[in-house]
Amino acid sequence: MALRAYIREGLNVAAIMGAGDTIAQLFIEKKSLQQWDIGRTARFSALGLVLVGPALRKWYLTLEKLVSKDQPALRRGIKKMAIDQTVFAPTFTLAMSFAVPYVNGEDTDKIKNRIRSSYFSIMLKNYMLWPAAQFVNFTFVPLPYQFGTYANYVGAHFWNQQEAHFVYDGASKQMAEEQRPQNDVLYREGLNDYGQTTYTPRLLSVDLAGNLAHLPMGGELYGNFVQRNEELLPLTTGSDLQKLKQSAEANNLSTVDQLEVRAQPPAPISEYQRDLLQGAIAPDKNYQLADTTRSWADYLYARYHPRTLNVLPDLIRDSEVQALATQAAGKEIWDGEAFNEDFCNRIRQYAEECEGLQGFHMLFDIDDGFSGLASKCMEHLNDEYGRVSYVLPLHYPRIPSYNQADPRTAHSIRVVNSVMSYYHLSEQATMFTPLSTLETIWRNNTLQSRRLPGVAWREGNLYQTSAVLAAFVDTMTLSYRLPQTPQSLVRFCDSVCPVGRKLTAAAMALPFGLQQEQDLIDFLDQSGDHSLLTQLTPGCEAGNSYVMQSLMARGIPTSRLKRPQEQAGPQLRMAAYSCNSVSQMLQLYYQCSFHGSVTHAASTPLPLRTRLPFPYELFEANIATDGCQVAGGGEREPHSRVESAPVLAALQNSTKLGEHLDNLHAQTHRVQIGKLQSYSQSAVDREEYETALDKLLEFRDNYADSQHL
Amino acid sequence: MASISLLNPKAEFARAAQALSINISAAKGLQDVMRTNLGPKGTVKMLVSGAGDIKITKDGNVLLHEMQIQHPTASMIARASTAQDDSTGDGTTTTVMLIGELLKQADIYLSEGLHPRIMAEGFEKARDKALEVLDKVKVPVEINKKNLVEIANTSLKTKVHPALADLLTEVCVDAVLTIANDKKPVDLHMVELMEMQHKTDTDTQLVRGLVMDHGARHPDMPKRLENVYILTANVSLEYEKAEVNSGFFYKTAEEREAFVRAEREFIDQRVKKVIELKRSVCDGTDKTFALINQKGIDPISLDALAKEGILALRRAKRRNMERLALACGGTAMNSFDDLQEEHLGYAGVVYEHVLGENKYTFVEDCKNPLSVTILIKGPNRHTITQIKDAIRDGLRAINNTIADKVLIPGAGAFEVRAYNELVAYKDTIKGKARLSVQAFADALLVIPKSLAVNSGYDAQDTIVKLTVEDRLHSDLVGLDLATGEPMKPVDMGVYDNYIVKKQILNSCSIIASNLLLVDEVMRAGMTSLKG
Repeated sequence: MALRAYIREGLNVAAIMGAGDTIAQLFIEKKSLQQWDIGRTARFSALGLVLVGPALRKWYLTLEKLVSKDQPALRRGIKKMAIDQTVFAPTFTLAMSFAVPYVNGEDTDKIKNRIRSSYFSIMLKNYMLWPAAQFVNFTFVPLPYQFGTYANYVGAHFWNQQEAHFVYDGASKQMAEEQRPQNDVLYREGLNDYGQTTYTPRLLSVDLAGNLAHLPMGGELYGNFVQRNEELLPLTTGSDLQKLKQSAEANNLSTVDQLEVRAQPPAPISEYQRDLLQGAIAPDKNYQLADTTRSWADYLYARYHPRTLNVLPDLIRDSEVQALATQAAGKEIWDGEAFNEDFCNRIRQYAEECEGLQGFHMLFDIDDGFSGLASKCMEHLNDEYGRVSYVLPLHYPRIPSYNQADPRTAHSIRVVNSVMSYYHLSEQATMFTPLSTLETIWRNNTLQSRRLPGVAWREGNLYQTSAVLAAFVDTMTLSYRLPQTPQSLVRFCDSVCPVGRKLTAAAMALPFGLQQEQDLIDFLDQSGDHSLLTQLTPGCEAGNSYVMQSLMARGIPTSRLKRPQEQAGPQLRMAAYSCNSVSQMLQLYYQCSFHGSVTHAASTPLPLRTRLPFPYELFEANIATDGCQVAGGGEREPHSRVESAPVLAALQNSTKLGEHLDNLHAQTHRVQIGKLQSYSQSAVDREEYETALDKLLEFRDNYADSQHL
Repeated sequence: MASISLLNPKAEFARAAQALSINISAAKGLQDVMRTNLGPKGTVKMLVSGAGDIKITKDGNVLLHEMQIQHPTASMIARASTAQDDSTGDGTTTTVMLIGELLKQADIYLSEGLHPRIMAEGFEKARDKALEVLDKVKVPVEINKKNLVEIANTSLKTKVHPALADLLTEVCVDAVLTIANDKKPVDLHMVELMEMQHKTDTDTQLVRGLVMDHGARHPDMPKRLENVYILTANVSLEYEKAEVNSGFFYKTAEEREAFVRAEREFIDQRVKKVIELKRSVCDGTDKTFALINQKGIDPISLDALAKEGILALRRAKRRNMERLALACGGTAMNSFDDLQEEHLGYAGVVYEHVLGENKYTFVEDCKNPLSVTILIKGPNRHTITQIKDAIRDGLRAINNTIADKVLIPGAGAFEVRAYNELVAYKDTIKGKARLSVQAFADALLVIPKSLAVNSGYDAQDTIVKLTVEDRLHSDLVGLDLATGEPMKPVDMGVYDNYIVKKQILNSCSIIASNLLLVDEVMRAGMTSLKG
C-alpha cells in the first residue's frame, strides 16, 4: 500500500519532469522532432521516479509527523518551514545539482567543481526568498459568510460536520494524517479571557434577533453573558447575574447606588443543547430534533467566536413570515450606520488575521431580504479585498410568506428578489450555485421536492432539508480543504466556470448507493444509463453532453474499488480495471458516459458523519450503518443508526443551465412591480429592476449553444 | 361605522375618542417606563435578555427596543427620540417624557369637548412662545475649558455615577480641545473610541495619538520604536493571485532567481521603494520607520520589511488613514511612486500591547495631534459599552456648545421660566386656544417634577417653591437635587445645550399634535385592501 503511494508519487513527478524536458528541448532549445534526445527525457523521468518523487513524499510525510499538532497553526507553519529549510533544502539541492548533470552524462569531476563553485550561491538565493513562499503554502484561507435564517441552518450542519472530523489527542489513528481535511483553512485559534485556547470558525453570520434562541450574542466561549439556566452555571463561562450587577455598581456605571435589573424570561434551551453543555450527550438518545427544533441554535454542536454572530437592528424573528422581505429592505439595512460600521470592521479584523486570504465563501437566503444584504456585502468585499468568491444562494424548502402579502404579491417578491440577486451575483461573484431541495421554486402551485434514493425527508422541514444541503456544501468544498488535493479556491472556481458561465448546478448522491460488499467497478458497470446523481439546483438538469464538472467522492475506500487480480474474474475484462483510485475510475466513467465533457474528479476515504446532530433518521431502512445499501434488499437492524455515509457530489456546468435562467425570466411576466413599489417602506426601484432584467438576459447568453467549451 | 368596514369587514379600526385613547395610553405607558430614568438621580437599568446578553442603559431608545414594544404609537415616539439622539446626542428621555405629558394634559381638555385641532394650534403658539423664552434665557459662553467641563459634566452625570462622570468629563473635554480648530467645525470622528477588554482593570484615558486594534504579523518586527517616521498608505503589498502551488527545479542560481523575480517583481518593487525611503531617511540617525497600510501585506513582504527593522501593519481601518494623517502629519499615500520625506508623519513612540488574542498598537507622542483616541478599559463588554455611550454623549454635548456658543441654565430652570411666561402669555390669547397653551405650560413642568421625584422630594412642593422663586428673580432658578431647594444653576455650573432644548420643543409639539389629530387607527393588510 505504502509502496504503491510512493510509486504513484514517483510516476507523477516522472511524468512532470519528462514533459518538462520535452518542452525544454522542443520549444526552448528549438530542436526538431528528429533531434529530440529521447534518452535525455527518459533519464529525467527516471530521476523523478526514483529520486525526486519518493524523496519529496517521504520528506513531507515525515515533516508532518515531526511537528506536533497541538500548537497554533502559525507556529506550526513556522516550525515546519524552519525544519524544511535547514534539513531538507541543503541536502536536496546538493543532490539535485549532482544528479541532473550526472544523468546527462557529464563528467563527475566537472560536476564536483561546479558544485563547489556555485552551491553556496544557490543556497544563498534559496534562503533569501524561498522560505516565505513555502510558508504561504501552509496557510490559505477563505472567509465564510452566512446571511439569513436558512443559511444559518445549513451553516450549523456544515460546522457540525467539520467538528465531527476533529480528532482529539490522536485518539483515532485509523485515518492517515494526509487524508483529514485541513481545519486551519476555516478555523482560527484564539485565547479567551479565561486563558483557554479556543478553536472557532472564521465565520460571520447574520440573522434575526430571536433565532439565536439561548445563544448569547457573543457566543458562549468568551464569557460576557449571564447564564440564565442556573443548573448550567458551573459548567460554562456565563456569569452569575448578582455578581455582574455588583461589579457594575462597583465600576460606577450607575448614576445612583443601585442598578435596576430588568430580566426577560430565560430563553428555552433545547434538550440536546442542555445535554451538550453538561457533557452528557447520549449518542443513542432520540432527541427528536426534526420535531422540536425551533432554530438552528438548538442543534448547533460547533461554538462560535464572539465576532461571528450579528443580528439585524430593529427586527425580530417571526415564525410565520419573513420579517425582512425584499432585497431593497436588505440593502437599506446594509447602508444603515447601525449595521454597516460594525460588520465591516469585523470583516476587516478577520482579513487582517489571515496570512493568505484567498477568497470568500458565502451562503445566503435568496428568498428574502437577506439577499440584498449579501449582494451589498459582495460588493463591499470586491471593492475592499478583490478576491474570488464562491456563493451559494439558498431557497427555502417551502414557499415563504411575507407580511401582508397575498400569494400573488409573495410570488412577485420572490421573483424580484431572485432577479436582483442574480444580477448582483453575475457581476460580483466568481461562481455561484443555487441550492434547494425543491425541484421548481418560482412557481407557486407546483411544489415538487427532489428525491434522493435512499433518504427521505419531510418536505419543508428546515432542520432535515438543511442537513441535505449542508452535506453537499461540505463534500464539494472538501476539494479545497484536503491536503492531498491542494486546490485553491481560484482553481476550484476556474475548473467549472469557463468564460462567464458563473452559474453552476449542484448534484449529489447521498448515500452513494453502493451495496455492501459491492465493488465500485461493478456498481458503475451496472448503473447503465441511470444517472448516479440527483440535482440540487432547482429547475435544471445539466444533461450529459458538453458538461464541465468537478466531482468529489467521499467515503469510498480504495479497498472497495475492485478485487485483486486473482479474484477479479469478470472485472478483469472491464476497461476500468486499470484504474487505481476512486477518482481515476470516476473520471473514466464520466469520460465514457458523457459526450464531449471535462471532468475533474477527486476523492477521499473520509465519509460523511451522520451521527447526532445530523438527522440520521433521514436514511431509509435499506441503508446499512456504514451508509451502503444492504445487499439483497434486506434491512439494517432495527434501532441501529447510520453512522456515516459515502457521498458523491458534483458541480456541473453546461449549456442546459440556461434553462434555469429561462425559468426565472418566464416568471417575471407575472411580476406586479407596481404593487411592490408600495409594498414596504423601502420600495423596489423600478429602474434598477429593469436593468437587472436586461442583465439577466445578457448573462443567459453565456449559456447559448454557440458558446460551448 | 368606518368607511373601511364597508369595503373590508375584516379590517380592524378604532375611531375618534377610541383612537385618541389608544395613542394617549401608549404615550403614558412609555412615559411611565422612562420616568425613573430622568436626571442625575434617575436609575440606570440593567437589561438581561432571554439568552443572557446584558445591556446597561438609561437610553430611552435602547430601552424601547429591548422591551420589544410593538405598539405603533410607541414606535412613533421611539423614532422621535432616536431622531433627537441622532441630531443632538442628548435629550431622548426628555422627549419621551414631554410627549407623554403633552398628551396627558391635552386629554383633560379634550375629554371636556375641546377639538383636537384647536388643541394642536394652541400647542403651536405655545411652542413659538417657548422658543422665544429659550432665546431670551440663553447664556453666551466663552469656549474655554471651565465652561466645557461644566456642560460635559451635567450631561455625563445623567449617564453614570458622579465619580466616573468627573473622570470622563476631563477626558472628553481634553479630547475635543485637542482636535478643535478655530476655523473648521469639530469632526468628532477624529476622536477614536478604542476599547480594551481587560479582566481586572477599569479605566478610561486619553491617548494623544492613535490606538489601533491590530499589530505586526511578523515575529521579527520590533515591538517598540522610538522617534518614528510613519508612512500611511493604501497600497496592496500582497501577491494577489494566491497561486503558489508550483514547485520548480533549477540548475543555476541565476535561473532560480529569474523565476522568482518574474513572479514577484510587481510587489517587490513596491516593498523596495519603502525600504529605499526608509534607508534614505533613517540610516545614520536614531530614527526608525513604521508602515501602516490599509491594504494587505503578505508574509514575503512582511519578511522583507522586518529585515529592515520596519514595523508594518496591514488592513488598517479606513478612517484611521485620515486620523493618522491628522495625528502624525504626513499624507496617506495611494501609490509608492515618488515617495518623499514630506509624505511621512512622525510619532515619538510606537509600541505594541498584547492582551489575550488581541494586539493593540499605540502611536503616541505626536507633535501636534489633530486626532486623538479615548481608550476605554473594562472587565466586560457591557461595562465598556455603557462607558462608550456616555463618552459619546459627553463629546456631543461639548461639540454642541462649541457650535452654539450659548448654553441654557439646567436643573429644570428653563422649564420653570417657560411655564411662568406661558401662563402670562395665555391671557393675551383669545378663544379656546388659551386652554391648550395652559396645557403646554403644565406639561413642561413634568421635567422639574420628575427630577424632584427621582431625587426623593415631593413634586408639588418643589414646583410651588420653584415657580414662586422664579417670579421673584430675573435670574433663572433651578432645583438643587442635593437639598431639594431652589438654586441658581448658573452659579452651580449646571447647563444644558441650547440646540438640545430647541430640538425637544420642536419635535415634541409636532409629534404630540400629530397624535392628537389622529381620528382613526386602522389595521388592514394589503391583501384585504387590494385583493
